[in-house]
Amino acid sequence: MPLYQIKNLTYFYPDSQKPALKDVNMNIEEGEFLLITGSSGSGKSSLARVLAGLIPGFYGGRIGGSVFFRGKDIKQLEQCSIAREVGIVFQDPEKQLIMTSVEAEIAFGLENLGLPQQEMARRIAEVMSFLGLSELRREFTAKLSGGQKQKLALAAVLAMQPSVLILDEPTSQLDPVAAEEFFNLVKRLNEDLGMTVILIEQRLERCFHLADRVLLMEDGRIRFEGTPEQVARRAAQCETPFIPPVARFFAKAGFNTIPVTVKEGRRMLRENFNLPSSDFYLKHPGVVHEEEPLLRMERVWFAYPDGREALQDINLQFYAGELVAVLGANGAGKSTLLKTMAGLLKPGRGRVMLMGGEPGSSSSRRVWNSWVGYLSQNPSDYLFHDTVEEELLYTLKNFGISPNGIVDEIMDKLSLQDFRHANPRDLSCGERQKVALASVMVTKPKLLLLDEPTRGLDYRQKAEMGKVLVEYCRQGASVVLTTHDVEFAAEYASRVIMMFCGRIVCDGPAHQVLSESIFYSTQIGRMCRGFADGILTPEEALAVLKPASHGKWERK
Amino acid sequence: MKKLLSKILFWLGFAIIPVFLAVTISGKTSITREWGLTASIIILGAVGLMYLGFELDASSPREIALIAVLGAVGAAGRVAFAALPNVQPTTFIAIASGYVFGPTAGFMTGSTAALVSNFFLGQGPWTPWQMFAWGLAGSSAGIVKCFFPHIGRWGMVVFCFLWGYFFGWILNLWSWTTFVKPLNWQSFIAVCAASFWFDTFHAAGNAAFYLLFGPGFIKLLNRFKLKMIQKYEE
Amino acid sequence: MLDRFFYREKGLFLQSLHPLSALTYIAVLLGLVLMFNHPLYLLGLLAVTVTAIKAVDGIDAWKSFLKVSMGAAFVIIIVNAITVRAGETIIWHGPYIPVFGRLNVSMEAVCYGADMGLRLLDIMSIFCLYNFTIHPDRVLDLLSRFSFKSALVLSLAARMFPAMVSRLDSIREVQTARGVDFNTGTLKEKMGKYALLIKILLLTSLEDSMETAEAMYARAFGSGRRSHYVRDAWRPRDSICLAASLLALGAAIYGWAKGLGTFSFYPRLDCLIDGLTELVLLFAVIFLLSFPLILSWGWHNCPFIKSKI
Repeated sequence: MPLYQIKNLTYFYPDSQKPALKDVNMNIEEGEFLLITGSSGSGKSSLARVLAGLIPGFYGGRIGGSVFFRGKDIKQLEQCSIAREVGIVFQDPEKQLIMTSVEAEIAFGLENLGLPQQEMARRIAEVMSFLGLSELRREFTAKLSGGQKQKLALAAVLAMQPSVLILDEPTSQLDPVAAEEFFNLVKRLNEDLGMTVILIEQRLERCFHLADRVLLMEDGRIRFEGTPEQVARRAAQCETPFIPPVARFFAKAGFNTIPVTVKEGRRMLRENFNLPSSDFYLKHPGVVHEEEPLLRMERVWFAYPDGREALQDINLQFYAGELVAVLGANGAGKSTLLKTMAGLLKPGRGRVMLMGGEPGSSSSRRVWNSWVGYLSQNPSDYLFHDTVEEELLYTLKNFGISPNGIVDEIMDKLSLQDFRHANPRDLSCGERQKVALASVMVTKPKLLLLDEPTRGLDYRQKAEMGKVLVEYCRQGASVVLTTHDVEFAAEYASRVIMMFCGRIVCDGPAHQVLSESIFYSTQIGRMCRGFADGILTPEEALAVLKPASHGKWERK
Repeated sequence: MKKLLSKILFWLGFAIIPVFLAVTISGKTSITREWGLTASIIILGAVGLMYLGFELDASSPREIALIAVLGAVGAAGRVAFAALPNVQPTTFIAIASGYVFGPTAGFMTGSTAALVSNFFLGQGPWTPWQMFAWGLAGSSAGIVKCFFPHIGRWGMVVFCFLWGYFFGWILNLWSWTTFVKPLNWQSFIAVCAASFWFDTFHAAGNAAFYLLFGPGFIKLLNRFKLKMIQKYEE
Repeated sequence: MLDRFFYREKGLFLQSLHPLSALTYIAVLLGLVLMFNHPLYLLGLLAVTVTAIKAVDGIDAWKSFLKVSMGAAFVIIIVNAITVRAGETIIWHGPYIPVFGRLNVSMEAVCYGADMGLRLLDIMSIFCLYNFTIHPDRVLDLLSRFSFKSALVLSLAARMFPAMVSRLDSIREVQTARGVDFNTGTLKEKMGKYALLIKILLLTSLEDSMETAEAMYARAFGSGRRSHYVRDAWRPRDSICLAASLLALGAAIYGWAKGLGTFSFYPRLDCLIDGLTELVLLFAVIFLLSFPLILSWGWHNCPFIKSKI
């Protein structure tokens, strides 16, 4: 008997006329690692909530069809009997923690199940040593890092000893290192403990190959279903972006066997391609800047009141027309760098000059603000008016700029016209990001600073944003953004800066920096290393690498 | 039954302060020595009763999360406004939540804001009194809504303004009973006079908050109140 | 600035006490300060408290508590002096004020004010001690045994509070970048700008609260009878401290009922020490309350005691 049996599942959220799930039919087997992917709004999170019993138990709404868990109708099951069997970890670690201390957080679920003290003590001890949380036992949860918080959320769920673990984009708020660690843990749970894992994810580079089965959702329906290779092959034919770059490359090159990891990709490259000579290097036109930089930072230091030196001796110039990506782990000082550039933080030592001037008096501060646009990590902080249009007008009003036509222009550019009179708080995450960006771009700043603008966006939304930003640079502005998304940086940035512990460790043209780096490189970059350096995206690889006629693997 | 008990306990806690005030001022008591101790016990008892009332009341995870968030915002507001003299949005937030979500939620919001902000700003003898005063501000707003559903914007502005003084007076009760002897109305007035400007700032701040943001906040909270109710159809 | 008064774990003896015994100790101290008004008793209790503060390494923060207390103590003296007319030794004849009557300041009232200033200092010091001895989380844990739901609300709020304060900062930065200047404008305008911050914070946090509720539901919250996970161990030191505190309280109540430890200011100042029993009681109470401090000294300096308690 399958673990889950889903027949003709259709679901409407309360007060919604559009179904979130349409006619879903599927089975999930015990011990399986299932990856569910799809664009935002495709119904993948709703499906996860059905499997976890949160729909309809917590959400209400209208549900049709049937969902059986171990042969029992999930709607008839008690809340606590689902919670015993199925655990779910959500996107944002900040929002799913409840108690003030690590130990109490893990105990919370066990207390709710009414377990006896001895049983709780054993489970808590086990799960803490399994996840390496023992050191943090008495720590205040608010003081943990993002990665630690997410690990704690996982621990709290694991202590309840579920047989099914559902993960709803668990790494979207984490930096790549913490994300990698998290996935490794999940893999261990699946392989060593035989736990059924259902992972919802839209960034696939790290997890595609872990799955036994992949489900691609679109518009509330299941579009493809199969092994990673099968899905990669079929998805590649219809241009859906929901396969990892390596798979996309081989699919586009016309191969029948589609590798999904860098390791397999390298083997296929060796066996099937006419590789260029060993000293090959994909050249990109270098840019020499002769004009005055837009913004110049000279020996800038910044320390927070608690003594942490977030910026150490920063010397940087930013020129018009550049799209700069700043990479680095969490806590490396990326956000502080942007805030200092935006004039929101005053450097302790050194100078920040915008077009030759420093911010001093209140009036030049105003000028500074209207020249520099700053988008923080939380787009929701920009949204508090009743309509999207008012949101844009608010910024203009603050700077005393008359709105003639600008609002329309920006809305067209970001394709927001449909939402003009919508409440921005009713929009989805990606749309919110666009509205926030629009409310910053509306003053047409010469320097646009974006703190993790791609967080929570799906492939399509990222591509759309990338194009808008490239176009904006072409008009003579400069865009500086921080990101953890190396693929995005490789695709759109012209220059990459790498930060480590408050210092600039690397600064140069995007292709040079990323292809020389080992960990901060794209999947294609890692695959082509040593065969054809300097290649970062599937498109570049397709242009340079040509399959050999005598290849070992058949092509169609 | 449990529901009824919860209500009774809650209102019992509520009634304590007026009775207490009347007794102290009339002077007709057998407790002649240390009013400070009695007052502390009474206030702790009142807060305890009201918490017990909440405890016995049924509440969903949504309600608990909502009250905690409102309380934490109220607490954070105290910190954000540290620059302005005794102007803070905590009273206003407690009143707005009580107005929308009812007396119990209002009390919990206000008292949570007091206790939690003091975890970080330092607990002091004032903590239970602040918990009580802010809690009372919240739940009285809920009562006002019950009895005067059409109180209107200006009515609420006056209500918020008055709470600036009530809050100060409740806190003065502490210093008055603990440090003044013999207790008489002159000395209570003198204590209140000493805090007059402080309270006036508070009152003016409350009124201004309501005038500027009251209807907006209440609209916002009402929107979430609707979301709290789950609808389930087959 | 935010965590200046926040508990810091330093691995000290008093911090290792079970929250119940630590709370009882502090509550007894507070109760005694409110019961007795004899200046010698108040001084003795102050000495115990300050030594305890020293034992938890909180003297620096205590100094800033001291500053706040001084201002308040001054107000207490003034109010007592001008409104209380029970004293006989008039040291200043003031003018006649309508409603209040004649403003006469008596020496007894001034002394009473000073004594109450001392009491205030005691109370503030005890709370200072509390802030440095007991982790808020452990109090919440204790509370959750009796009233789980209220404790849950409090711990959720306490967990969210630091994040909210830093979120307020980032919202402020966003507003600055969007052209709002927080440094200019009248008081009313400034208030409007700050209130907007609160509104944005509230909007975001209310949205988030739904997700928190979902996480609680997913972890079986509200699905039936709960149990309670006990985190703190009860050690011999807790029994000793609890017994000492309760004995001190018992002795104090006995003496109090007999009229000891009470100093009468009106109509004329009493004699400072009237009788040996008053002193004996004082020493007994102070001795009992010093027990945790003696243990603390022993725990830090003597391995034998450390292993036994």
